Amino acid sequence: MIASNFTIEELITVTLAKSFKDGEVGFTGLATGGAAALYITGMPLAAMEFARRTHAPNLTILLAGWSINPDFSEIRELPSAEFDSKLQSLPCEAQMQSYPGHYAVRRGDVDFGFGSGVQVDQQGNINSTCVGDYRKPKVRLVGSILLPEHMTCFGREYLMMPHHEARSFVKRVDYVSGVGYPGGNAGREGLGLKSGGPKWIVTPKCIFEFDTQAGKARLRSIHPGVDREELVRSTGFPVSTADVPITEAPTAEEIQILRREVDPHNVLVPHGDH
Amino acid sequence: MVRQSKRASLSDAAQTVKNGHRIALGGFAIYQRPMAFVRELIRQGRRDLVIVGVVNSIESDLLIGAGCVSRIETSYVGLEKFGLARNFRRAVEAGLVDAVDYPELIAWDRFRASQEGLPFWPCTFLGGSGIVEYNADIVAFDCPVTGVKLWAVPPAAPDVVVVHAAIGDEYGNVAFHPRKLLPQTVDITQTRSSDTVIVTVEKIVSQKEMKRRPDLVEIPAFRTTHIVEVPFGAHPTSLLGIYDCDDDAFESYAQSSASTEAFSAYLDRTVHAIPDHDAYLEQVGLKCLLALRNVELPA
Repeated sequence: MIASNFTIEELITVTLAKSFKDGEVGFTGLATGGAAALYITGMPLAAMEFARRTHAPNLTILLAGWSINPDFSEIRELPSAEFDSKLQSLPCEAQMQSYPGHYAVRRGDVDFGFGSGVQVDQQGNINSTCVGDYRKPKVRLVGSILLPEHMTCFGREYLMMPHHEARSFVKRVDYVSGVGYPGGNAGREGLGLKSGGPKWIVTPKCIFEFDTQAGKARLRSIHPGVDREELVRSTGFPVSTADVPITEAPTAEEIQILRREVDPHNVLVPHGDH
Repeated sequence: MVRQSKRASLSDAAQTVKNGHRIALGGFAIYQRPMAFVRELIRQGRRDLVIVGVVNSIESDLLIGAGCVSRIETSYVGLEKFGLARNFRRAVEAGLVDAVDYPELIAWDRFRASQEGLPFWPCTFLGGSGIVEYNADIVAFDCPVTGVKLWAVPPAAPDVVVVHAAIGDEYGNVAFHPRKLLPQTVDITQTRSSDTVIVTVEKIVSQKEMKRRPDLVEIPAFRTTHIVEVPFGAHPTSLLGIYDCDDDAFESYAQSSASTEAFSAYLDRTVHAIPDHDAYLEQVGLKCLLALRNVELPA
């Protein structure tokens, strides 16, 4: 039975969860503030925990890269800092205290991760470094951080974009912080990249997947209630909405699991009915 | 002969840093930064510093805003929950500071290369990234064993490393809490990557006291160049297990850095108009400092 009442964020969370396989290892950083925190931290954590409580009990969560399988039942607010004493005292199975530590990113221990930036393009390149010319930027941003590793060493990457606007969905990113599919799979291979790369681009309006042969993003599904023409207008690269399905709605039971078991304190993916 | 004490004043220790030096400042993002040392460098008017780091924040933004820096090599410069590093942003946009970008793990491994005395660190995954497109210091090569495409990344090679820790003795032995986190590991790696290591600590204790837990000493005395007692030396950043981040002071920093005019006034107030760290702590205020302390029940 389709749930009668769910938010777009809950829809995305359940959709993400179903794409994880049992036994996988998922990595998420800790973003702060509003929509970014929700898309980069809250929804990924809820999706991984949902998967653990349903079809993937052996999935491993790497929170902020160092708190392994944290226990969310105790948290009352999303942690706002990666290394403060609150997060250190969050119950979990293991805490990584050194680098190199528990897991080897470059050997491929991480199956999937979540990343974001100010620009993404049709090849799935992501930019968190600058807007405008790199050598004389209009806006200088934080830098590449761990995105180069996310987009090459992890098995796959979910690009989480909290704002779907033409200025962030561009023809070509101003700087490649994390590399997508230039020239498709063959192109990546030519660059020395044997695996990894973006899997989906997740937005409040839709989910993109990749034609990895052509190296181009295409729509996988459009969220319910989203105007197709408006979606095309807010995407700065060519996109076809023909025959694209509506994102599959969660069942009432799935929403119950999400709200009652995964996120009982309405912290990770807040909904209006709490 | 008696054993040499390495205890120094903040002012004398900061003299070790010369104009043009490559400097690594301990901590990670907004945690455990040697902030008192940074303010002393500004007070002494250091110029053309090259900051080499892993994940940088207020310690670098402050030095950049004070005009002390010509180049920064790192994976991130930002204030985490307090927003963008605005002095860094302005300086790079104006072409006053060169930002040289590295991936986070590689930024860390560059210190491991220096620790091991290696001429470069090999990296497999840089193809197609802006990192190699714009960073001329990274050199592509074919692996002599397998033939696969690799990139040689230069070592961090800091002239000086400065970290802030909790406790040490006058000879320069420095202990770390056993329940450390990743930021403390960056500090430890960095102190092993340079011949000049300055450690500021919350408290210098007797060697007898330190010998109770030799297993916790991560920086042995012979690696330490200077040790300086600087209580609340990381303020406004946190020192794990000892005091929290001063969110109000951090917010005030973030707001002041929104414009060069406001930042100039901030620098005058917190650095130039006061003689030393003691005066800084008086300015912050006893009540505020006491409120930041971690006071917990024993485990």
